[in-house]
Amino acid sequence: MTTQEITPTDDFGIAEASRTNLWKDAFARLAANKLAVIGIIPIVLLFFIAIFGPYLTPYDFLAQDFTARLAAPSSEHWLGTDELGRDVFSRILYGARTAVAVGLVSTAISLIVGLIMGSLAGYLGGRVDMLVVWLTDMTRSMPALLLAIVINLTLKVPLEAWMEQMYLATKNGFFRQTMWVDLVLVFGALALIQWPGYARLIRGQILSIRSRNYVLAARALGMPTGRILTRYVIPNAMGPLIVAVSAGLGGAMVLESAFSFLGVGVQLPIPSWGKMISDGLRMWQTHPYLLAGPAVMMAIITVSFAWLGDGLNDALNPRQWGG
Amino acid sequence: MSVLLDVQDLQTRFQVRKGYVYAVNGVSFQLDQGDTLAVVGESGCGKSVTMLSLVRLLPPAASIENGQVLLRGEDLLQLNLRQLRDVRGGEIGMIFQDPMTSLNPFINIGTQMAEPLIYHRGMSKSEALARSAELLGMVGIPDGEARLREYPHQFSGGMRQRVMIAMSMSCEPAVLIADEPTTALDVTIQAQIVELVKELRDRSGVAVIWITHDLSVVAGIADRVIVMYAGYIVEEAPVDALFEDPRHPYTVGLMGALPSLAGETGTRLTTIGGSPPDLVDLPDFCPFHPRCPYAIDRCRKENPMLEPVIDASDGGHRAACWVDIREVELEAGAAAGSV
Repeated sequence: MTTQEITPTDDFGIAEASRTNLWKDAFARLAANKLAVIGIIPIVLLFFIAIFGPYLTPYDFLAQDFTARLAAPSSEHWLGTDELGRDVFSRILYGARTAVAVGLVSTAISLIVGLIMGSLAGYLGGRVDMLVVWLTDMTRSMPALLLAIVINLTLKVPLEAWMEQMYLATKNGFFRQTMWVDLVLVFGALALIQWPGYARLIRGQILSIRSRNYVLAARALGMPTGRILTRYVIPNAMGPLIVAVSAGLGGAMVLESAFSFLGVGVQLPIPSWGKMISDGLRMWQTHPYLLAGPAVMMAIITVSFAWLGDGLNDALNPRQWGG
Repeated sequence: MSVLLDVQDLQTRFQVRKGYVYAVNGVSFQLDQGDTLAVVGESGCGKSVTMLSLVRLLPPAASIENGQVLLRGEDLLQLNLRQLRDVRGGEIGMIFQDPMTSLNPFINIGTQMAEPLIYHRGMSKSEALARSAELLGMVGIPDGEARLREYPHQFSGGMRQRVMIAMSMSCEPAVLIADEPTTALDVTIQAQIVELVKELRDRSGVAVIWITHDLSVVAGIADRVIVMYAGYIVEEAPVDALFEDPRHPYTVGLMGALPSLAGETGTRLTTIGGSPPDLVDLPDFCPFHPRCPYAIDRCRKENPMLEPVIDASDGGHRAACWVDIREVELEAGAAAGSV
């Protein structure tokens, strides 16, 4: 039998249509997803505002104008002013910073913790796996908001006392800024609530990919473990992780708002959308715009992240790659 | 011909909740240079576990309890992981059942094919890619250089199996272990893959171990056949002797389940009733006796050893059975009948 005769001819159809790079392929898929593209626009805007917000705002976020307290939206104050005469629009722009910082930092922390715990559980198995799964179960069994309140109530006072001591000892002005205590507590609580999700996702990914045929095939070809991890396991675990992070960023922002609403979030003077919502709620019958501004922003961003996450899920889902 | 691979008394078991499952129980066989050995048996008979044991690619629950795997006299079971990696892919190539999932979807074919060449042969990336393109041509994939830039999802099942074969053969191994490489493919593609392996074998002189449950494939490719049941070799013979003069009831049963072009139309294929046992204990009886139409009392009390058969047409013909099945007349329809 000659080579020509055994040349298969069954390679037309889906294969011909898409001879490009895999990531480009996924990107093209994402770009073709209308909801995902619509979702990207507010997210890009949010990051832009978070970086350049202070240069864009017509007023300082603390600037109080007692002559224009609780003013209705006008050309001067686009979204009106609050009860202290502060410009709501400016505060929303500043709030983008809080939202982005909270989203990025808490997601980063929980992702790192989740990656370490999840990988350990997935690779090592046995007792380590049982311990990690038990820890995630324990953490998840506690109501998230209750956990945040408990953390805030029990840790805030000692932490502030410690900061004061450090200030007295070092005379370093940094330790006088109690807003750091708030941030640390909020980030910590968010990370504590979110890491089990990432840990379980990564553990599951590793367990499933470790038993894939291509990993066995790579081992049968004598590839070293490190190379199998970096070339085979990790890239194949990325898809669901990217999707989870996208959704997690939005989720962290909403959660932070909920914290602020309950008074355990980022405290003034840094504007936070959650705090603005909870303040606005007291007067929503008479001054609904105080509530509407931050609430609408929050909703747009959350929906955008959800759409982007869905789009990423579709774009990165190997089952849709054909073949 | 010299003995290339000599497997002695290999035993592998799996740890399960209640103890152990004995998957491979004292398997011994030899493979000569350039020889093709077929390993047949139902699913769950220990064929794949035996082959994975040779290069210690077992899942964590499995452990090799005993035996030697001598490749040119060197025991693979005693090697450290680094030495073992040189054997895997370098001396022993493997291809697997499901080509659809045997390639990493995230790396293009070229990079994937180049890796073993870079790792085992110390080639540069460009050398390895050039060699990979050649290899693709060798396994019947034209336009190799362009196809190296493509990803697995752009290849069909048959093409992927060709890529797998090219990869496993890339470092010119002495042994190619093919674990049911055609099971997941269309019949026409199956024949092409069998032809391809034969062609590569004849050209390179690689010794092939071909695991299958398809006896028609065995007849086409193998020199010798091992029939496995419940982790034991129950019959071993040159391929012609096995087909003409099978001596183990299980082999007879497998052949009865094979459709024949020469047979009369309208005849029914026989099946072997029941399924292989879960070996949670090493049996002190013949593991096939519950399904065996020839079973006698001794089969329930003693497990037969693999021994040379009487009146063998070939010296290498061995079987593990207490009964000389040629002397037993079965009632019509009872052959390999229900349990």
